[in-house]
Amino acid sequence: MAERGWDSILLYGNAWRKDPFRSLVNINFSGDHALAGLSRSGEICVTFSDPWDAEIASGKLEPDFVRAFAGGPSAGIVAIGGLEFMEERFVAACGKLPVSATADVEELRRVKTVEEIGYIQQACDLADRGYQRFVEVAEPGMREFELVAEVEAFLKENGAEDNFMLIASGGTEVVGMKPPTDRKFQEGDSVTTELTPQVNGYYAQICRTLVLGEPSPGQLKAFDIFFEAQNAAQDLIKPGITAADAARAQNDVFRKHGYGDYTGAKYTRVRGHCLGLYPDETPHILEDVDYVLKQDMVVIAHPNTYLPLSGYMVFGDTLLITETGNTRLNKTEKKLFVK
Amino acid sequence: MKRGLITWDRAELPPSVFEARLVRARAALATQDLPALLVYSDVWRSTEGRHLTNYMPYWNRSLIIIPRQQAPVLLCGLSPRVYPWIKSVTIFEEIRPASKLVPTLLQLCAERGWTKLGVLDLPRLTHEVFVPLEASSVKTFDVRLDLTDDAEIAMRRHAEQLAREILTVELPKGVELTDYQFSGLLERAFRRAGAEDLILLFSTGGAAPRPACGAILGEKYSVSVALEYRGHWARVTQGWPS
Repeated sequence: MAERGWDSILLYGNAWRKDPFRSLVNINFSGDHALAGLSRSGEICVTFSDPWDAEIASGKLEPDFVRAFAGGPSAGIVAIGGLEFMEERFVAACGKLPVSATADVEELRRVKTVEEIGYIQQACDLADRGYQRFVEVAEPGMREFELVAEVEAFLKENGAEDNFMLIASGGTEVVGMKPPTDRKFQEGDSVTTELTPQVNGYYAQICRTLVLGEPSPGQLKAFDIFFEAQNAAQDLIKPGITAADAARAQNDVFRKHGYGDYTGAKYTRVRGHCLGLYPDETPHILEDVDYVLKQDMVVIAHPNTYLPLSGYMVFGDTLLITETGNTRLNKTEKKLFVK
Repeated sequence: MKRGLITWDRAELPPSVFEARLVRARAALATQDLPALLVYSDVWRSTEGRHLTNYMPYWNRSLIIIPRQQAPVLLCGLSPRVYPWIKSVTIFEEIRPASKLVPTLLQLCAERGWTKLGVLDLPRLTHEVFVPLEASSVKTFDVRLDLTDDAEIAMRRHAEQLAREILTVELPKGVELTDYQFSGLLERAFRRAGAEDLILLFSTGGAAPRPACGAILGEKYSVSVALEYRGHWARVTQGWPS
């Protein structure tokens, strides 16, 4: 705050983007809005739109949340983390246009504390167990949404606050993942998932592909490429390299095998991303992102994409960047799962 | 996060329901002499867009455009690879990729010759969309719609009934479980019944209902379930023993 000349910071969260708020006050609020205020002298005040949140957190209640901003600090420069996600009526209530603190707060959040790494490790352990459950219960005839229900139940039973999960099933016609449908699994399907449980606010992710029945030569060949690509990133990631380096290492493997066309936006999104209080934190691992990775950042490297050999395939692990390299936080075996 | 079954059962919500809703939206536009309506939609703020088009952005943000004279258009932050699925569960025939929402919107306005635009509940538009839109040459006007109709009420009633029925069956099973364990049990039952999203809060009487935290429920407790069934939310709280 002193460096930026800010007199106070407000950290806003809503039901989708709780992360700016939780970066200062790690309370899993269940209402629509929450706001944490931090003064230069270090005083923190919290305001909620939901009376149950306010009671549990001993915070202030403002059912008409516009008043949370109208009653805020009137003097000096107010910076807001999460400004971009706020409704305009809240911004207007601030009077003078506040400054966005979002980028600065996100940068602070990228390097994790020991406590935060501990939460992410717990989330990784749960992701591993959740994936084990995924493999145990998936079977031909089961519908996609029924499998998700089973995994979701398992994760919640074991302490997950939330979970971000995408899924797909089928063969070479599958070009991406989405929420579950009522499609029934069939023998020979690739069943892909990104599983991202949240523990104490922090997300960790695992990406694996399960083949129901005997894998086809195409599925086996595709997995070999994904395995090589993910390992290329894992071998490379350390402090000082860029997100672009980590993306290029993965994409170069696809290029080497003649599948470079499948590393672009038409077939894939990103080659990984950071993890923390949001499941898809920046920087994204892409060849045009020159952000320099730092020790104690947590990233997932996942070369997930469509290949004509197999359809959409996923493979990735959560990595903690250490002083000299990285540590894989997932313990799940690095293989094409077959059942 | 939305990870339940997102679908469109045309027997449950026939296309005619959405046609009638679009007629009402267009009538509101006509009253204000506006060429199109903008509806902001994201993972959390999806109710209005869902009501008009059955579209639910399971992730990311989108802008829904309802022209007065032409078919609705979706400006979508999601990958074109999921457009076939989106089209299968919504009324959209035209979806445009929009990693940058407002520039894509302004391009559409330029193509169609729109110099003004209605925005559903303009003061609630998110700041990151509001600012570049206000800075553009397209003038915005606040539009309010009554989003209640018989179909909406019937769907909410169904969601509420589903929540009550499942809670009635499952509630006794929570005795002496931790709230984590009971969350798992309820998640399984609700998601298998087609819940798109679910928020569970627990209380043993001493404090306000809160998310699961590993506490033992004991013999007396209450559960508050906010259930989203095909875009329609209902909240039901029941106690045990009832």
